[in-house]
Amino acid sequence: MRRQTKKKIKKVLFWFVVIFVFVYLIFPFYWALNSSFKTENQLMMTPATFVPRDTEGNFAPTFENYKSVFTNPTFLRAILNSTIVGGVTTIIALIIGSFSAFALGKLRFKGKKLFLYLVLSMTMFPQVTVLAGLYAVINTLGLSAMLSMILSYMIFTLPFTTWVLTAFFKELPVEIMQSAQVDGATAFQTFYHILLPLTAPAMVTTGLLAFIAAWNEYLFALTFTSIETQARTIPVAISLFTGKIARQEPFGEIMAGAVLVTIPVVVLVLVFQKKIVAGLTAGAVKG
Amino acid sequence: MKKVLLTVLLVALLSVALFAEKTITVAAGAVGIELELARQAAAEFEALFPGVKVNVLDTPDMVQDRLGLYLQFFEAKSDRVDVYQIDVIWPGDLAQHFVDLYEYGAHDYAPNHFKAIVENNTVDGQLIGIPWFTDAGVLYYRADLLEKYGFDGPPKTWDELEEMAKVVMAGEKKNNPDFWGFVFQGNAYEGLTCDALEWIASNDGGTIVNRDQEITIANENAAEILEQVASWIGDISPEGVLAMDEEGARKVWQAGNALFMRNWPYAYALGNADDSAIKGKFDVSVLPHGKGESAATLGGWQLAVSKYSKDPALAAQVAFFFANYDHQKARAMESYNPTIKTLYQDPEVLEAVPFFGSLYDVFTNAVARPSTASAPNYNEVSTLFFKAVHEIISGESNDAMGTLEELALDIAEVTGFEPVFE
Amino acid sequence: MGKTPTGNILKQEQSLAYKLLIPTLVVLALVAIYPLGQVIITSFTNRVFASDQETKFVGFDNYAQLLGVTFKELEPKTDKETGEIIRDDETGQIEYERAIMVLPRTPNRYKELFQFNWFGKRIVVGARDPEFLGAVGNTLVFTFFSVLLETIIGLFLALVVNSNFKAKGLMRTTMLIPWAVITVVSARIWEWMLQPGTAGFFNMIVYRLGLSDGQASFLTNSALQMPTMVMVDVWKTAPYMALLLLAGLQMIPKELYEASEVDGAGKIRQFFQITLPLLKPSLAVALIFRTLDALRVFDVFQVLMSSKMYSMASYNYFQLIQNRAMGLSSAVGMIIFVIIMIFSIIYIRSFGVDQT
Repeated sequence: MRRQTKKKIKKVLFWFVVIFVFVYLIFPFYWALNSSFKTENQLMMTPATFVPRDTEGNFAPTFENYKSVFTNPTFLRAILNSTIVGGVTTIIALIIGSFSAFALGKLRFKGKKLFLYLVLSMTMFPQVTVLAGLYAVINTLGLSAMLSMILSYMIFTLPFTTWVLTAFFKELPVEIMQSAQVDGATAFQTFYHILLPLTAPAMVTTGLLAFIAAWNEYLFALTFTSIETQARTIPVAISLFTGKIARQEPFGEIMAGAVLVTIPVVVLVLVFQKKIVAGLTAGAVKG
Repeated sequence: MKKVLLTVLLVALLSVALFAEKTITVAAGAVGIELELARQAAAEFEALFPGVKVNVLDTPDMVQDRLGLYLQFFEAKSDRVDVYQIDVIWPGDLAQHFVDLYEYGAHDYAPNHFKAIVENNTVDGQLIGIPWFTDAGVLYYRADLLEKYGFDGPPKTWDELEEMAKVVMAGEKKNNPDFWGFVFQGNAYEGLTCDALEWIASNDGGTIVNRDQEITIANENAAEILEQVASWIGDISPEGVLAMDEEGARKVWQAGNALFMRNWPYAYALGNADDSAIKGKFDVSVLPHGKGESAATLGGWQLAVSKYSKDPALAAQVAFFFANYDHQKARAMESYNPTIKTLYQDPEVLEAVPFFGSLYDVFTNAVARPSTASAPNYNEVSTLFFKAVHEIISGESNDAMGTLEELALDIAEVTGFEPVFE
Repeated sequence: MGKTPTGNILKQEQSLAYKLLIPTLVVLALVAIYPLGQVIITSFTNRVFASDQETKFVGFDNYAQLLGVTFKELEPKTDKETGEIIRDDETGQIEYERAIMVLPRTPNRYKELFQFNWFGKRIVVGARDPEFLGAVGNTLVFTFFSVLLETIIGLFLALVVNSNFKAKGLMRTTMLIPWAVITVVSARIWEWMLQPGTAGFFNMIVYRLGLSDGQASFLTNSALQMPTMVMVDVWKTAPYMALLLLAGLQMIPKELYEASEVDGAGKIRQFFQITLPLLKPSLAVALIFRTLDALRVFDVFQVLMSSKMYSMASYNYFQLIQNRAMGLSSAVGMIIFVIIMIFSIIYIRSFGVDQT
């Protein structure tokens, strides 16, 4: 009987933690959603309401924030820009990173440690510090805004993909590689046809995290798209949301913009993550 | 190969463009109506001067980000932007990057604008920016509540403000725990420099650094008024005021939760929006004073021409055009305070924005922050100042005079000026 | 064990390895060398950002300015007439002279950082840049708590999603939402929720529950500032940790669990005997990067705290943009680099990640 109660307590405790974490992670988003349907004056109401209400207490959402966001061409183009920049950055970082990771994780050569530290050190400076220097490089090379962003984001995505994938490549059993070599496969063939599919979950995860890092980046994007305004990404576009009068901050619109951008990303990941992983592992050799 | 071709093509196009058409880029605000009006002015200029294209570039509204962006351009000596919209406190610090507008015809225009602003924009005899629109701190008050509690009108002194706030709060708090007496910009940022300057100057405490480049901040009057403000926190002002900026204060005020607010004039039109909780219940007046006279900090924006521009003469013409009578009038109708004196008597403007008439005196007597006096280190000086003030009013420091003395020493270190101790 | 490779295969591997590393090195050369080189060089000068002012080489002056500390003893105040030590009327504690009297002023000014008691003496620690040292302290404290909490929550999430619990699907979706919200916007959302006054969510709740009058100011109350920052950051970063750990968990073959269940091991035993050891490499890498990110934290501090509380990176930003002290801010960048480097080496050595 005691064992049963112990089990029940554990279960209740478990569900308690689950609910706590759930509320902690979801609630701010709900609050953003709530705020996105409020007018400026509804947002100022005290005490704040869980759903948009008017002064009499009736449910009164407004759609003007969403209307404003949808009719904002800068914002819509920004979604496209962010997708391109994020996507290209991620793909390049994954390709280059997996090459290095394969070499660092599975091949034998001198200078591994040095290389690892060198790559990691790129990411040890805060972005603020390298901003001025990077801007000078970009101007000298005369790169377009999109290219500048893609190249600059390598600073934090490339070390990340390299290190994470190295860790995963190391985990892979040596035997697989050696049996492939016995079968006459070259190192590269082994990499491409066998090891890569096996690290599929790692590649997808790393890719997603690298993508979202590029997606969320603000400081570099703000500086590099200052002149080429059509290349602005989402964080920059949202920061440029303004009210009708100077200093007025359109909080409802900012929330609407954030919601509009978050939901598709989450949906896409949920739908495609399984497919991507399945697709990559389909090429795996069994046994 | 493709890249080479592309570059060649771009260069070719560019050279054609350069010879066929001149482009002037104006970096202006990003705000809705402001941007629209700027674009309109640009279109009008293009109509008057065919062969010239005027680009309006929108920049972040957050002053920090905008300054950071501008600095990047200057560091790179970029010629991509010709005309910059600059804050009233930037001419001193950034003078080296702008041309002297007097050399490009400003003598014809400058006398029409408020003298205080023109003076503020003049560094070493050079006019760095032509005034575009101005701002000054005002006191917003709930006329309906003052009437309800039997007061004749807005407070004239800080002591009166404190007294009125206490009385009204005692009555209103019973039904509304969110009600407070006075909200202002108390966060540790430039806005606090504005508010604190008003307190100190209105109590005969000077203006931090005076025209003779002496640091006068460490005096009894300044310490006295700052200690008074410190006593308001938690009493007639919420603790949260220490994190409030302009919008933060306006949120509390417009929801009907404050008796008084210190803010810029922009909140007037917003407060009278249709669904505003305080529509028609409030008014503005000059700020209260202490031992001295009422003081309002000068705000506003100017247009400056970059030294790195390819055609500064043309850029100057664009700047003057944007800041002329007609365009300032168009902005005035949208509540942007003009800098041209005669507009304050224009009947159409007064009809659209009635309180401009009462604000004339405020603008002509506005107190400028010591940006030109402490150039090129105003930013640093201001940061030291608002940090020290924040320490005092938040109670972090309980020795106001001591903190001000340290502040004077800090400013002396940065500027090389002499501190004056009482 | 496999066959020992011949010299030829080894050479082949080496050459392939170097070839594979070239793309990374090219990117490094393009984006990192000039900016980082410039930072190192500028940190030894007194350069002003966006200015014509002549740049002079100043050696280690910037570093001395940032890191200079001194220790001075404070004498107790004595009554001029009686010569007795003055004590506070209420608390009975000894009153000491003001630190500003004791701390050196020329050639360099030292400001008070903090005071402490040492064997009956009162010592004041003076620093040339107490704000910077404060920023370093803030960042270290922030990093410790943030990484700790995000690892715990992240591990919990990863375990739930990797298992067969009913909450699995819900948790997976929940995990992705903070991760997908734009970082600068998420800081604004939290700022909105933390408003003083009942327009802010937290104040509204405590007010509705009758616990307080709903006027708590989270971002100005020194006791609440750091916990608030940690809470805001962990919200965004726990999903990162969860995703990384999840990938690591998914690499552990299920057969191991099945085998140990047959042996009668409970879930907790399985966790410590199978999961944790096999998760170590992924956990190590995840910790390195999350700690690096926490030490470089900028967005949340700039949006929520601006000049009220600095992190190392936001201090760096303000020095560059507000004071245009490019030399000094480069030195700040270098110091941040060194601190992060030290952390990285500690991690890598303890986890043995760099073992070939």
